[in-house]
Amino acid sequence: MTAAAWVCLFLPLGSAGLITVLGTTITRRTAAWIATLACAGSFAAAVVSFVAMWGRARENRADLSTAWTWLEAGNFRVGLSILTDPLSVFMMLVVAGVGSLIVAYSIGYMDGDDEERRYFAYMSLFVFSMLMLVQGGNLLLLLVGWGLVGLSSYLLIGFWHDRPSAVAAAKKAFVMNAFGDATMALAFFVLIQKTGTLDYGLAFQKAHGLSSLTLNLIALGLLGGAVAKSAQLPLQTWLPDAMEGPTPVSALIHAATMVTAGVYLIVRTHALFELAPRIEDLAAGLGAATLLLAGLVALVQTDIKRVIAYSTMSQIGYMFLGAGLGAYANAMFHLMTHAFFKALLFMGAGIVIHALAGEQDIRKMGGLRRLMPNTWWAMLVGGLALSGIPPLSGFFSKDSILAGALDRGWYGDVLFAVGMAGAFLTGLYTFRMLFVVFGGEQSAYVQEHPPHAHGDRVAQWSMYLTVGALTVLAAAGGWLQFADLWTPVTDWLEPVARPLVEATGTQETIASAAAVALGVAGIAVAWWIYGARRATAPRPSRVLEHKFYFDELYNGLFYWPAVGLSRLLSWVVEGPLVGGSIAAVSELARWTGGRVRELQTGLVRAYALALAAGVAVLVLVFVAVR
Amino acid sequence: MLGPDVAGYLIIAAFLFATGALGVLIRRSPLIVLLSLEIMLNGANLALIAFSRHFGRGDGQIFALAVMAVAASEVVVGLGLIVAMARRRLDLDVDKLSTLRG
Repeated sequence: MTAAAWVCLFLPLGSAGLITVLGTTITRRTAAWIATLACAGSFAAAVVSFVAMWGRARENRADLSTAWTWLEAGNFRVGLSILTDPLSVFMMLVVAGVGSLIVAYSIGYMDGDDEERRYFAYMSLFVFSMLMLVQGGNLLLLLVGWGLVGLSSYLLIGFWHDRPSAVAAAKKAFVMNAFGDATMALAFFVLIQKTGTLDYGLAFQKAHGLSSLTLNLIALGLLGGAVAKSAQLPLQTWLPDAMEGPTPVSALIHAATMVTAGVYLIVRTHALFELAPRIEDLAAGLGAATLLLAGLVALVQTDIKRVIAYSTMSQIGYMFLGAGLGAYANAMFHLMTHAFFKALLFMGAGIVIHALAGEQDIRKMGGLRRLMPNTWWAMLVGGLALSGIPPLSGFFSKDSILAGALDRGWYGDVLFAVGMAGAFLTGLYTFRMLFVVFGGEQSAYVQEHPPHAHGDRVAQWSMYLTVGALTVLAAAGGWLQFADLWTPVTDWLEPVARPLVEATGTQETIASAAAVALGVAGIAVAWWIYGARRATAPRPSRVLEHKFYFDELYNGLFYWPAVGLSRLLSWVVEGPLVGGSIAAVSELARWTGGRVRELQTGLVRAYALALAAGVAVLVLVFVAVR
Repeated sequence: MLGPDVAGYLIIAAFLFATGALGVLIRRSPLIVLLSLEIMLNGANLALIAFSRHFGRGDGQIFALAVMAVAASEVVVGLGLIVAMARRRLDLDVDKLSTLRG
């Protein structure tokens, strides 16, 4: 079990190293195959560990394997270790499974790009980093993975480095994530100071004796990291811009895996969060706020990828809501189904974008249903799953989170109401996008640029097959768990994270019925306006178009003051003080040099006289001293 | 121990050295300057040998021999320079050779 987990972790790193070292001696396609096979091998290893773990007794499923002591400072010691337990195996399966499908899809999507090899090296690096994050056996290794996924996300968002907007988006993502990394590191510092360890078990155990202020600080720091990585309020603005990266990157990093790391963090460190219930409530509240806000903004986006990006933020809001309420298994289950259908939607969008020669504006699309029937069906399945329509996967996972909210007093009821509003919005924005892109008449742009296949046969099939596989997963992935009749996911994760809330059958029924009704209502409204065009679409409100003015707010709060301060300092300090002092030093050196220069007369006799005089003085001194 | 006292030799050595130094300082022809330099060196040699004899040790004499060898090489270089200057029809005047002025 443990050996397979190590293999799972290091195969993608090996692939990244191999592609880098081989460089141009291999073809681009070979690099793509190396990355794909490494990720597939990683997935196979994850399956092996899963099967091995399945065979063990329930209380005996966690295994900490330490390769060597990695850091040592006094009593503080951190090992390079991986933890193989039900939660990490669950994440390994999702990351390596969806990861290998998306890397395989990239064979086709990135076909013909000049820097394909670099792309696949980065993708492998990302899969390694994400596995490091979920498999790390202590909080420090989790932070290592956390930083590495941030790095690979930065590299991949800015993959097309000749586009200034991509470079800016990459920097934005990095800076906002660095903020979260910093709060997380601070939380770890507090934890080290108070408990002296970063091992999961030991730290959680010792945390019980800490003061509530300390615990709140630690949980708040962890929540800061989770919020930044998962693009939740108030650190959400980087995710839509991250859509500048290639579409498979959006599917893998900014939908299926990395952005859900925050949910994983909360579930992994739930013992700390449970000791700070206020912060846990805050996490749920932030999730609810994000799911509502992101759902509203998604209504007015015109870039197909940004619609899906806002939808991702909104769905992660559901996961935060669930994790914050203590419905850990439901949050993780939604994480998995979301990985399936959101990756599917992104990859379907990628096929559309490719077919239309890189166009991403949905206003220029239309009537693609007849031209691309298979893509339409795949995206329809993804959209229905996202909207939570039975029997597709989103129905099972989203509704159980909302049902959990009903089991948590008045606060839970508020969150439930917000989640219901979100369910309506989800149906509306998803099907607005689908109807605008696929429904209606063919737009002028589509007629001018008839969809064409991209790349050779291998490239096309790599895209069709992976999208097909994800369509099946998005449709059937939810059957793993059905409320309280059939709960393998909850049972599987129970040894790691025992849920705090347990919805009754009635609550499940209410939540499901209401959510499905609202989802269908959203779809119906979308059909009325955008599908059948019975009503004209309302003019998008300015607040939504400006995404609730978050970018403007942060510009005003942080960017412009920083720029102003820099200009002031440049004017007051840089010019006169720094520049002036350097000029003064050089002037002094020149002046001294000029004076000393005059000694160099070029007259040999003057030098001889100076020598003689010097000797005479020396002789006099010697005589006088004696 | 035969001959005059070491002080007499030293007086002559000092006189030779002073003569040479004066020549270096006041004469402008490089040839004479070189010549005066030799006189200075010989003054120093005389002092070395006088002390060598005074203390009954041989190292002063060996040192004097080494100085002579160096002086001979120095004269070769110096005279070579002076010949080269004469060939280029430069003034043989050290005060006019001040191109290295800073």
